[in-house]
Amino acid sequence: MVLNSLDKMIQLQKNTANIRNICVLAHVDHGNEEYLINLIDSPGHVDFSSEVSTAVRICDGCIIVVDAVEGVCPQTQAVLRQAWLENIRPVLVINKIDRLIVELKFTPQEAYSHLKNILEQINALTGTLFTSKVLEERAERETESQVNPNSEQGEQVYDWSTGLEDTDDSHLYFSPEQGNVVFTSAIDGWGFGIEHFARIYSQKIGIKKEVLMKTLWGDYYINMKAKKIMKGDQAKGKKPLFVQLILENIWSLYDAVLKKDKEKIDKIVTSLGLKIGAREARHSDPKVQINAICSQWLPISHAVLAMVCQKLPSPLDITAERVERLMCTGSQTFDSLPPETQALKAAFMKCGSEDTAPVIIFVSKMFAVDAKALPQNKPRPLTQEEIAQRRERARQRHAEKLAAAQGQAPLEPTQDGSALETCPKGDEPRGDEQQVENMTPKPVPQEENNQESFIAFARVFSGVARRGKKIFVLGPKYSPLEFLRRVPLGFSAPPDDLPPVPHMAYCALENLYLLMGRELEYLEEVPPGNVLGIGGLQDFVLKSATLCSLPSCPPFIPLNFEATPIVRVAIEPKHPSEMPQLVKGMKLLNQADPCVQILIQETGEHVLVTAGEVHLQRCLDDLKERFAKIHISVSEPIIPFRETITKPPKVDMVNEEIGKQQKVAVIHQMKEDQSKIPEGIQVDSDGLITITTPNKLATLSVRAMPLPEEVTQILEENSDLIRSVEQLTSSLNEGENTQLIHQKTQEKILEFKGKLEQHLTGRRWRNIVDQIWSFGPRKCGPNILVNKSEDFQNSVWTGPADKASKEASRYRDLGNSIVSGFQLATLSGPMCEEPLMGVCFVLEKWDLSKFEEQGASDLAKEGQEENGTCSGGNENQQLQDGCSEALEKRTSQKGDSPLTDCYGPFSGQLIATMKEACRYALQVKPQRLMAAMYTCEIMATGDVLGRVYAVLSKREGRVLQEEMKEGTDMFIIKAVLPVAESFGFADEIRKRTSGLASPQLVFSHWEIIPSDPFWVPTTEEEYLHFGEKADSENQARKYMNAVRKRKGLYVEEKIVEHAEKQRTLSKNK
Amino acid sequence: MSIFTPTNQIRLTNVAVVRMKRAGKRFEIACYKNKVVGWRSGVEKDLDEVLQTHSVFVNVSKGQVAKKEDLISAFGTDDQTEICKQILIKGEVQVSDKERHTQLEQMFRDIATIVADKCVNPETKRPYTVILIERAMKDIHYSVKTNKSTKQQALEVIKQLKEKMKIERAHMRLRFILPVNEGKKLKEKLKPLIKVIESEDYGQQLEIVCLIDPGCFREIDELIKKETKGKGSLEVLNLKDVEEGDEKFE
Repeated sequence: MVLNSLDKMIQLQKNTANIRNICVLAHVDHGNEEYLINLIDSPGHVDFSSEVSTAVRICDGCIIVVDAVEGVCPQTQAVLRQAWLENIRPVLVINKIDRLIVELKFTPQEAYSHLKNILEQINALTGTLFTSKVLEERAERETESQVNPNSEQGEQVYDWSTGLEDTDDSHLYFSPEQGNVVFTSAIDGWGFGIEHFARIYSQKIGIKKEVLMKTLWGDYYINMKAKKIMKGDQAKGKKPLFVQLILENIWSLYDAVLKKDKEKIDKIVTSLGLKIGAREARHSDPKVQINAICSQWLPISHAVLAMVCQKLPSPLDITAERVERLMCTGSQTFDSLPPETQALKAAFMKCGSEDTAPVIIFVSKMFAVDAKALPQNKPRPLTQEEIAQRRERARQRHAEKLAAAQGQAPLEPTQDGSALETCPKGDEPRGDEQQVENMTPKPVPQEENNQESFIAFARVFSGVARRGKKIFVLGPKYSPLEFLRRVPLGFSAPPDDLPPVPHMAYCALENLYLLMGRELEYLEEVPPGNVLGIGGLQDFVLKSATLCSLPSCPPFIPLNFEATPIVRVAIEPKHPSEMPQLVKGMKLLNQADPCVQILIQETGEHVLVTAGEVHLQRCLDDLKERFAKIHISVSEPIIPFRETITKPPKVDMVNEEIGKQQKVAVIHQMKEDQSKIPEGIQVDSDGLITITTPNKLATLSVRAMPLPEEVTQILEENSDLIRSVEQLTSSLNEGENTQLIHQKTQEKILEFKGKLEQHLTGRRWRNIVDQIWSFGPRKCGPNILVNKSEDFQNSVWTGPADKASKEASRYRDLGNSIVSGFQLATLSGPMCEEPLMGVCFVLEKWDLSKFEEQGASDLAKEGQEENGTCSGGNENQQLQDGCSEALEKRTSQKGDSPLTDCYGPFSGQLIATMKEACRYALQVKPQRLMAAMYTCEIMATGDVLGRVYAVLSKREGRVLQEEMKEGTDMFIIKAVLPVAESFGFADEIRKRTSGLASPQLVFSHWEIIPSDPFWVPTTEEEYLHFGEKADSENQARKYMNAVRKRKGLYVEEKIVEHAEKQRTLSKNK
Repeated sequence: MSIFTPTNQIRLTNVAVVRMKRAGKRFEIACYKNKVVGWRSGVEKDLDEVLQTHSVFVNVSKGQVAKKEDLISAFGTDDQTEICKQILIKGEVQVSDKERHTQLEQMFRDIATIVADKCVNPETKRPYTVILIERAMKDIHYSVKTNKSTKQQALEVIKQLKEKMKIERAHMRLRFILPVNEGKKLKEKLKPLIKVIESEDYGQQLEIVCLIDPGCFREIDELIKKETKGKGSLEVLNLKDVEEGDEKFE
């Protein structure tokens, strides 16, 4: 299981079939009984532990293979934990014993202590798993007892014992005398359990087999004279039995073969009663000889499979505990399930194959196979009848030809079906088979030659799976309660027209396969307890599902993945026109891989999230070669930022108070200040920007203020609510009735408003909530536009103040332009065109007097031209009409008013001006970037804690808390980490901690980066500290420039830093 | 008198000459390569990093310094540094290959960003990424013109890309409110400009919500204003009709 070398992994990847859990059936004669064993191999690399998860679910037991030299690796721990969590019984194989002899040159005594060591380590691991479970259970009990305080008050004696003492754990551990450990050397083909030798020596020495079984492993030695087994070998300096009776024999065999001691080899061979072929005996390579001798003497298959037969449970022995655990999702307890569901437990336990038994199948994963590899599409050897048929047909055809040649009317063309009819029905069952085969619909359309077909990797837990049987497909989120609620009790209509229940489908089992390595064999029915492949489920099952003939079955608990996907990359096709193939391929990949996530982000990126770098590589290969079949390019995903402003800082970068020291006169500083704000814009010291539209008709005054953090958070959380508020007001604007809006929503809006008022207190924020005009960007973002102008009242809560007056409705159209300007400004900020966050724009003044004048004069002019009757009564209306007409006139009649015309329509100008005003208002305030942050949860053992911290701090992470998990030596560290720094983080942390720490990243919040991206040293202290250019890292600036560069915006970066240092040779020299 | 042979020919290295004609005379200053554009854009603030020497020449390669009288007659001052600054800003300069390269690259990116911003994949209503657009632009061998604005070029690129891949400008969502009597007539006129009509509501007024190509916006705006004499109104509901939020494959 522990495959460490990466080369080997990659080699395995070449053949994707190797990676998948290969299921092989083994047929074993053990003693007088015959066993059928489904062997499922799973890869050992951490990245593929999802494959282990899928395999473990459908097994009853597992063989854990440990390298005798390397001992327990991180992956061994992971696998043990998985086996433990799934409640399946493990047995241990210690492999590569030959390396101890050949490579490390251990003496038998050393080897024994080494093996003992490994065994102790593994048992220690099992022990921690056990204690943590017991402690957990105890904690649960405690909380329960707190909930039910009705227990006797008098006897409240605190239970100091941890509960560990009472729980028996001896059966959990691995030990050779229990027979659940086997020592092997797969490369040389040998392996043994203690039992084997116990049997031999009980005959030889005449000690009871049972006694030997107990003493062959452990501190026992044999007193040959007394023929007695004594305890305490080390104290007396004697060899333990295991060394004396077992290891030394093997060692001497190796010794003889490696030294090519011909006589000794012969002696050993004859004493063991083996027959070695002359060819092997003469072979010059000692490995071949060893293999030949050992595989006869101690065949590995016997040793391992015998252990499997004896120690691992059969499907019938499924424990009640495991059944209950499988059926109870999340925090549910078994007792809380509906009675129909509880009844299924019996079926599980019984594992019955009668027709009445409910069919329960669990699909643990979907895997893709080439349609060509499916048995129905494969050329198979012809049966006798078929050959006969063909001969018949050929003969007929020949006859037809002859007939045609002779000018006679041709015979009726024979079709396949009729040919079948004519075939002699000599063998009844065979004929049946034939018909069935003809009847099976070809599930894979032949249109596309090498299409992928999905096969569900599944196991029957109860009942018999038959082809064509109709069955419920229950998704992981399905709840039987939901079904019982929706479908009336005693519902007897055919299941096809059931009312739709979420996460449930109803379909027939199309094809059943026996999985034999890469081969698939057709099956008609599968009895319970077996592993099988099911074809034709790809439309119903995404990754895993539970199939059951009764809808009351709960879906099994979700697979327990050791590795969660965290490595994110963006994927694009090399040729942009191949986008649809990529999307299709990614969908297939998503189905085929249990541990992959695929997202399409708002930016249009296709993001693939995998468990690790190796897993990523395999996913990419699969995409390229199987699912999408196009060239793809992989890149770092785009990292989002937000822009905001803060309050002016009180101290400078060297913690000196600002305003007390003199600024160093920097000549070029002046130049920069000038370039920031162009002419024609007035800025007062308070940050109020006054700007006029290009046609000089309207003047806007805007100020930007940072919103308190809590307010930003409230706005973020309530974006949906804000959207409905906007809808409400816009429908109010049109004077539609608003009774349709739900009472609840209105309550919610009031509550939201109240919350805002609660947080926006103080002199500056007085009455501001009532004056909120709009939110942005997209009318629901975390930025606010406040309207403080007096002549026009409008707020998002009520709509325009006086909607009856025509004056207001005229303002409304212009107001829309202002809001659009605000929306545009908040959508892309001045720093790097990223959206704003937590900024409040206050429209202090809104002067349209000139515009009105012009409108009026235009109106007057128009009135004269058209001799319109302009009575004083409806002047307002006229004014409004005139205004817009004037607008239209300006665009149509160029001669009339050239001033406004050359700048385009007035509304457009207003939008642009508002946008500019907001931008400049931002720029005069201290601007900051906000970075997206992940919360990062890391599980690590105590000894690698230091290295975890090192990686975190290198990537600007901050540790929030650290606590020890009860009962284990694992620490749980919570930290925050900027998304921008997370690329390659998981891989680095795994490398540095040799896989002992595994992080999980989840997006949590936006955080202001404290440094100013535009900062340059200005005071004398800062000069001293940072130097003139301040080239030392400014994180915010680095991020900002990276984004600007990506977007093709102007980056303030010199082409050549030092003029004198550039390469000066001209090209033609 | 020296003989002008290749061996004693002194080549100027790392020198960029900025020239200016003033009062019938030619003035030159000697600058470092790749630095003049930086000075003009304000990135480089240290004059000594730009100028090789503060003196003003008549001919840099020959080393002839300009006469004081000429300077006074042309610039009205003999402060060499001041004159150098003037020449730096207003003089003509040979843009070096590096400078041109960065400029072109920047424009290329800018165009790609604009295209990515304006367009969507019509099948998924999701935008393409900038990197993908850049690659597509390279595929169609688009060459950037420095004398045209990036926005103009972006529109051109969109047109060319449409032949290669599935790309379309993101639609704008508009709402018209038209008086009923003129509405019918106007609707016919608007029809060729509208892509999709999402809803129509004949009440007291005709209300239409529709998607249009942003290129037609001005036309529609003018049409409505003209036909309804200002009674109809038009409201932009959404500048870009794109899918929002992340989508997870399930």
